[in-house]
Formats: sequence, C-alpha cells, structure tokens
Amino acid sequence: MKLYVYCLAEDIDALTAPVSGISGAKVSLLKLEGLSLLVSEFDGDSTPVTRDNVLAHDAVVRSMLDQTTPLPFRFGTLVTEQKLASYISSHRQGLETKLTQVRGCLEMSVKIIWDTDQVDAGSESQESGPGAAFLQQKRREILGGERRAARAKEVSVWLSDQVGMVVREEQTVLSPTQKLIVAAAHLVERECMRAYRERLAEARKNRPDLHFLVSGPWPPYSFSNIDLEFKTLFGVS
Amino acid sequence: MSSPFDQVLIESDVEQLEQSDLSLLETLDHVLNRGLVIAGEITIAVADIDLVFVGLNVLLSSVETANEVLRKRE
Repeated sequence: MKLYVYCLAEDIDALTAPVSGISGAKVSLLKLEGLSLLVSEFDGDSTPVTRDNVLAHDAVVRSMLDQTTPLPFRFGTLVTEQKLASYISSHRQGLETKLTQVRGCLEMSVKIIWDTDQVDAGSESQESGPGAAFLQQKRREILGGERRAARAKEVSVWLSDQVGMVVREEQTVLSPTQKLIVAAAHLVERECMRAYRERLAEARKNRPDLHFLVSGPWPPYSFSNIDLEFKTLFGVS
Repeated sequence: MSSPFDQVLIESDVEQLEQSDLSLLETLDHVLNRGLVIAGEITIAVADIDLVFVGLNVLLSSVETANEVLRKRE
C-alpha cells in the first residue's frame, strides 16, 4: 500500500475538519521530522487523471489555506512512507527555505493572450514572383518572430511593473509564437490581495489590446518545486 | 464565517471558453504541471474520457489548443 501525498506544511497538529481525497479516501496527517504532510492510502500503481481526482487533490491542498500556506505536491505523487521519510530528511533545508518563502502568501495566476493576426499585421508581401514571394515569406518569418518576441517581452515587463509593488515573487513564462504569450504566477501576501486585484484591474483597463485570464487564489503550486528551481538556477536540462 | 478560499475566482475576457471549463483548465494546469516532485514517484493515467480533452491540453499548457479542441467538440 502506497501513500498519495497532497501537501506539506509546518505547525499543523490536526485537521480542522474531515477531508476526502483521491477516490474518496480519508485524508490523514502524517508528521515527519516536525513537518506535517497530508496523505491518504492508495491501492494501485498510478493515479487516474479524472475530473474528480484532480479537483479532490486541489481541494485537499486548499483545505489547509485557512490555517497556513502549504507546499503542494504535484498530482500523482505515490510513494512509500519510507521513501517519503527519506525525501523529507534529504530535502529538509530546501523545504524549510521554501516554506519561509511562501509563508503568509497565496498564488495568483495571470495568463495573457493576444491576437496573433494583429501582431503580424502590416507584413504582407508586395511581390508577385515565386522567388520574391519565397524570400518575402522567409523575411516575414524572421521579422515576425523578432517582433513577437519583443512584444512578448514588453508585455511581460509591463505586467511586472503594474503589480510589482504588491508581489513578493513572480515567475513568468514567455511564449511569443503562441496566442498565450505570457503565463505569470504571482506570490502575493494575503494582506496585499485586495491591492493586487485593484492594480491588476486598473492595468487591464489600460490594455484593451490584450486578453486576460486571471485566476486564484491558489496554494503556491508554482513556487514549490525545489528541484525545478535547481535546474533553472544551474542550467541543468 | 465563509472562507475566502472556498472557490477559485476566474476573471477572463477570453471568449469561447465556459467558466467551468476555464476553472477546470486552470486547476489542471496547476496540479499537473507544478508542485513538489519526488523524483520517479509520479505516475498518472489519463483514463477518464471526459477529461482527455482538458488533460491533454493542459499538458500542452496552451489556451489556444484548448480553444481548438473545444470547437471540435461542438
């Protein structure tokens, strides 16, 4: 029998209310080296990605938010108690650093979508010959890519400027070649949430050329992965 | 007293996507793509046909692709 692991937190001694987890399993509190983990027993080798399971995972992690800010585990984490204890022991310092980093905060997600036709407008070919048309097409691809990359960067910097004062930390992914050009995660202190929303609402008014998808508050999913951050910091792929 | 965390608030001017689709898409994006990872200990199975359209698209992390798939479902 393996354990399905939802999240990790500090200073939690008991669950305030019964919570149902994956497949309706009872969620329990496991204490390891002073840290509290929410787990449930799981009989199987893999976790089905179903609507109910995904929502159950998030609901269990979210159930901690009234008491503290937990570090969520990724969906599908199945592990023996022995392996889990080994992980906690070997990553203790990194986990404590992460818990300190997210303490008192929540995550907000901002995705920005643009109209690619608008970005590429004005680059139509004026030539009619096949050779010239080919070269024009290549030119469009190169210049269009550069233009999109520059605009994506501009939008990312603009967003950061708009909310920077009320954000403790941010992570941004740029995708200039797609409609979803900017995917940003903002770590916001709870008492700053209202100010954050107001600043974001004001910013959105000023950019009618962009489409926004704002969601949250989330547990700090985007600020929990110590391994990925190690790879980012040290260029390991 | 109600909790501010009872539900995820979604604000969007993205057309073509229903609120419930956006909510699930965002949840999938967070729980499948992010969070603490214990090396070698994540095994998932996309088994529920109802979720395949969102599951696959969240793995691609693309609203554009989600739009295309949702249009095909109509």
